Amino acid sequence: MSTVQVAPDVRSRYEKLEFVAFLAGLCLFFSTIEYLFPKPLPFFRLGLANLPILISLEFLSPGYVFLLVLLKVLGQGLVNGTLASYVFLFSLAGSFSSVIVMLSARKLFGRHISLVGISLFGAIASNIVQIFLSVNFIFGLTAWVIAPIFMTLGTGSGLFVGLFAEKFRTQSRWLDTMRQHYGKDSQD
Amino acid sequence: MAKIRKTDSFLSRNIAAVHLFAGATLILPAYLFQQNLLVRIAQVLLFAWLATVNGKRIKWNYFVIMVTSITFFHTLNPFGEVLLSIGPYTMTRGALRGGLFRGVTIVGLVFLSLFSIRPDLKLPGKLGGLLGQVFYYFERVFEGKKKIRVKAIIESLDEILWDLFIPGETVEPAYIEGSQTTVRGWLFLFVLVGTNWFFLFYRIPFVLL
Repeated sequence: MSTVQVAPDVRSRYEKLEFVAFLAGLCLFFSTIEYLFPKPLPFFRLGLANLPILISLEFLSPGYVFLLVLLKVLGQGLVNGTLASYVFLFSLAGSFSSVIVMLSARKLFGRHISLVGISLFGAIASNIVQIFLSVNFIFGLTAWVIAPIFMTLGTGSGLFVGLFAEKFRTQSRWLDTMRQHYGKDSQD
Repeated sequence: MAKIRKTDSFLSRNIAAVHLFAGATLILPAYLFQQNLLVRIAQVLLFAWLATVNGKRIKWNYFVIMVTSITFFHTLNPFGEVLLSIGPYTMTRGALRGGLFRGVTIVGLVFLSLFSIRPDLKLPGKLGGLLGQVFYYFERVFEGKKKIRVKAIIESLDEILWDLFIPGETVEPAYIEGSQTTVRGWLFLFVLVGTNWFFLFYRIPFVLL
């Protein structure tokens, strides 16, 4: 019986894709349980689905983080059936703007910024983009008056998600193992 | 391979996911070019009904608030015949129609998406394969949700994560059993697409606003 040799870098890439798929599955899970929490406003979302993205920032390279975001958004679109609607476009724009800002904040501040700070940056970016899209494509220019309320709520939810992510980062043994396993070559 | 459960509805039993999606794509121009508000509202209600037939739960209060708020913000820019004046607020026919039209259109697109997109709609290529793995893990995590204890949230989450993912252990991608389009399904799609296109060209004698 012959065995097929797989180059270590190929195996590493395959394992990482597997891990990204797992994290995206977690995102879908968190987005499902988010419905259990009461909403102060009809369009408000807590953003729990961003938790796996937030904790992945320290040991996945930007390429894999973007892939994770894409899988999360596509998965949510398929599971919720919103793939062909404005909800998908809002989610896509909000998620990608948020991750770009979070990656930049991490790059810029390095060890001097906690996950709470990164989460706040991401939430603010996502909210600005989504308010911009709402005003320009849905509600019209007069809707700027509700922007402060949404920004306040969005910042609050970013703070909550960040605090939880920070707690998970420091206490989870599973995450510690993942960090050791995938973190060593996060710059590929 | 792991199998993901699917909804058991007339649409999922009789129409393949890709054909349902293609049908909705054909309806889209007939919906977007429709200028009669009454017909458009009827289309939206039809899409909402189809979404519920497809097993989706519609949060009506969310969509009512959505249409109301979009309409309200549009009426803040008055144009056309004045319908109502309360203090500094003036509601005009043009602004009301424009707001209602936009609100209803946006909500209708969500309903169209809700009834035409199913989890068994396969995306092509490597990305589609990766999404299969995502759904596999989603199902596995979902099965373990009863283990979550709010008072020991991190510890219980950790237990679930250890159970489900260990580096180097790979899984086969999940699949969702799809259905074939039956004769009834084709007939249903033909009538659905045909009706929407018919009302694009046939001018009904009733006009709302």
